[in-house]
Amino acid sequence: MELTREIYWNVGHGVGTLLPMYLLTFAAIAVLVTAFKKRIKIYKQGQSVDRLDQMPVRIANLVKNVLLQSKVTLVKGPGLAHGLFFWGFFLLFLGTCLIVVQADFTDLFFGVKFLKGNFYLLFSVALDLAGLVAVVMLGGLFVRRYFVCPEGLESKKDDAIMHGLLFAILLSGFVIEGARMAVTELGTSLAYWSPVGLVFAKSMAGLGEESLRSVHSLIWWFHLLLVMAFIVLIPFTKFRHIFTTSLNYLFEDLGPTGKLVSIDMEDEDAESFGAAVITDLTWKDIFDTDACTQCKRCQDRCPAHNSDKPLSPMKIINQIGEVAFENSESNLIEACDKDAIWSCTTCLACQEICPASIEHVKKIVDMRRNMVLMEGEFPGEEVMAAMEQTEVNGNPLGLGYASRGDWIEELGIKPLSEDPDVDILYFVGCYASFDKRNIKIAKSFVKLCQAAGIKVGILGKEEKCCGEPMRKMGNEYLYQSLAIENVELIKDYNVKKVVTTCPHCFNTLAKDYRDLDFDVEVESYTVFLEDLLKTGKLKVNAEELHCTYHDSCYMGRHNDIYAAPRSLIKAAGGQIAEMDKNRSEAFCCSAGGGRIMAEEKLGDRINVKRVEMAVETGAPTMISNCPFCLTMFEDGIKGADVEDKLSTKDIAEVLVERLN
Amino acid sequence: MKILVCIKQVPDMESRFKLNSESNWYEGTDLAWRMNEYDEYAVEQAVQLKGQVGDADLTVLSIGPDRVKEMMKKALAMGCDRGAHIADDDYFKKDPFEIASVIAEFAKDQGFDLIFTGMQSQDRGSGQVGVLVAEMLDLPSITTIVDFAFDGGQITVKRELEGGIKSVIKATAPALVTCQLGLNTPRYPTLPNIMKAKRKELLSIPISDLLKVEGKQETAKMYFPEKKGGGLVLEGDVADLTDRLIKILKDKTAVLA
Repeated sequence: MELTREIYWNVGHGVGTLLPMYLLTFAAIAVLVTAFKKRIKIYKQGQSVDRLDQMPVRIANLVKNVLLQSKVTLVKGPGLAHGLFFWGFFLLFLGTCLIVVQADFTDLFFGVKFLKGNFYLLFSVALDLAGLVAVVMLGGLFVRRYFVCPEGLESKKDDAIMHGLLFAILLSGFVIEGARMAVTELGTSLAYWSPVGLVFAKSMAGLGEESLRSVHSLIWWFHLLLVMAFIVLIPFTKFRHIFTTSLNYLFEDLGPTGKLVSIDMEDEDAESFGAAVITDLTWKDIFDTDACTQCKRCQDRCPAHNSDKPLSPMKIINQIGEVAFENSESNLIEACDKDAIWSCTTCLACQEICPASIEHVKKIVDMRRNMVLMEGEFPGEEVMAAMEQTEVNGNPLGLGYASRGDWIEELGIKPLSEDPDVDILYFVGCYASFDKRNIKIAKSFVKLCQAAGIKVGILGKEEKCCGEPMRKMGNEYLYQSLAIENVELIKDYNVKKVVTTCPHCFNTLAKDYRDLDFDVEVESYTVFLEDLLKTGKLKVNAEELHCTYHDSCYMGRHNDIYAAPRSLIKAAGGQIAEMDKNRSEAFCCSAGGGRIMAEEKLGDRINVKRVEMAVETGAPTMISNCPFCLTMFEDGIKGADVEDKLSTKDIAEVLVERLN
Repeated sequence: MKILVCIKQVPDMESRFKLNSESNWYEGTDLAWRMNEYDEYAVEQAVQLKGQVGDADLTVLSIGPDRVKEMMKKALAMGCDRGAHIADDDYFKKDPFEIASVIAEFAKDQGFDLIFTGMQSQDRGSGQVGVLVAEMLDLPSITTIVDFAFDGGQITVKRELEGGIKSVIKATAPALVTCQLGLNTPRYPTLPNIMKAKRKELLSIPISDLLKVEGKQETAKMYFPEKKGGGLVLEGDVADLTDRLIKILKDKTAVLA
């Protein structure tokens, strides 16, 4: 017996089958293309942005994330179920393609059949099991969506259509297979190579050949119609993510991570800044809204959403999508809600987890830019005051600029204006310069450098805020004014290397200032100190320390520095009891995105939540790497009323206590 | 309608002040400069009035060295139409009478319908300039206003009196008002307005063109208050802190007697 099967068994391979089949297919594809063309017009309302450079990287991203489902499967459970469903369905698609290729091309024109022998056995069992996996996973996802009902997962008409249609396609496929096998394969060894089909065949065998043939023919055409419906429905339902999400991997922002686009302040023709209407955004921003599958992973991780604030990154994307596709004249900011826009801490948890490579934060900052630069609007008077203070004194705390370098007294270091010949410039930042608690970090860092024989200089009263909180709050003008002054100053001193103890300063100098022709090497103190330890220049005594460690957003997700701080803590003798949410899943302290300048008036306090997570580890010390985080945790410890259980320290403080 | 708003540049009050060598004013170094707080309310109110009446020309005036132009640009960005910078490096040596007569000299033939000033400056705090200008121009002046309304040439303002009592005053333009905290929230200039402000008229007039009087007073001496007492922060173990606090209360007060 030949190991193969007759393609188009029972339905026939004549014009009567092929003509309607191909006509339907072409019609379905025509509908799909036409509908997508309409959507492309909508995307094109946006501003231009080049997302087709570095093609090899982009294609690798596409392959990795579509075929390997890398981002999707980051979340076990539903992610893996989607991955397995995708692989199953994809195999079925490939199988169908092979059939088309053999029956209507190689066999038809050249008499070549390849679906035979061992390859056919493999083909048969693979497709049969792929169908089973797809059905089981779809069932699992169905139960999750409609019976488990995870919080925040909204089920709409699209979801019902998709579940129903996919299930019908898979099930009808098995019925066709079963009917065919009941007539042609039952009792042969070939049947065992289609185990699921065999079950269907056995259960249908009693119908008799004539009925089986009728059922087969009927269901075959029904199956075909379902598949046509599937193709047609792609652009009109969330099925479109098959194309849009996949393409979004190609159009992904290739970094640097989280870096914002600088506004051209010299452009005298510019009449509007930031985003207030859909045409202010880029085509990629609009495309993002079409790539969203509403999986709510971003929302689950958003610190604002998790503290009862009106922000959901997913809803922001959906609301922008609604404006783009249904109401393109309307105001974006009103559609997204101002309180929601102001609530973002730019922690990047949403983008880190998004399986569709959507860029949420940039859109939020774009809308903030419009509110600040075009309307002079802020989330509160305290934020406006901080902006004005920064304009006057170069720091949002409003303290006299001349006292910025006062903390170095007795440390034996000088500002560069007095001694520019140094190994590193320590860019201190506002909090470590002025805030009593954070000055301890600055002093600790200098002492560590001195112990390692590194000559440190600071800018002192010449230093200004790096501009990060203002920039993230939307005040691009103030940011650039501050940045330009800092850049010119640092370049004038011919500094070789800048080190920061603030991740916000680090991120800004290392990434954002690059747009302003700043090319000096910038390093985070964690990486710098780790290097000093490795090379033996810095020696610390390992003394036991039971602690937990908080990955700040700007050290972690924004800059992927997870190992260096942990290795420093270990070198100091620290044993880290990790919080559940650590590394790329770390929960924000609440102070990012310029929120350090704002009062947290809505919902619960994020810093208290994070402190409570630290308390859960049982460790008495919470170590952080960021002055904003430290400030929020000092406050959060009081807010959570756990002063007897937890205290917070910076890595530099821990190390300096253990100096040889 | 023509409106004049008079503003002064003062050091940020968080600055570290040092006395000058004559001990009659503060040293100009290491200071961050900004618009006098009360003048910001004046600018905001003037801009709001211009917005209300539509057809108005709003001049902002300031006396001082070149650096005051930076602050004047902010006033222009907030919505003033033109700037008159009275250039004077020795502005701090002039008494309120001289400053007021310079402003009056500038304003006398220009037919301003309303003049806004701050109620006082944060550095000298004489509170005289606005009132003197009004007197010299023979205008009614209303001081320390916390609310302002304009309707067909009639102004209605609120003043805050001691003990939280408020009074309502009416006057007919032309008039001068001095502005107090609570009048309004000064706006944050938008970027297009900052850009526009760069192209607005900002004329510098030498003070000698306008100064035609002599001062009537001089600052004889300026000094920091003597340090007396001050706060005491106790730190340490709670049990120990209690003992120390009780001791202090016994020794230095009568509460435990």
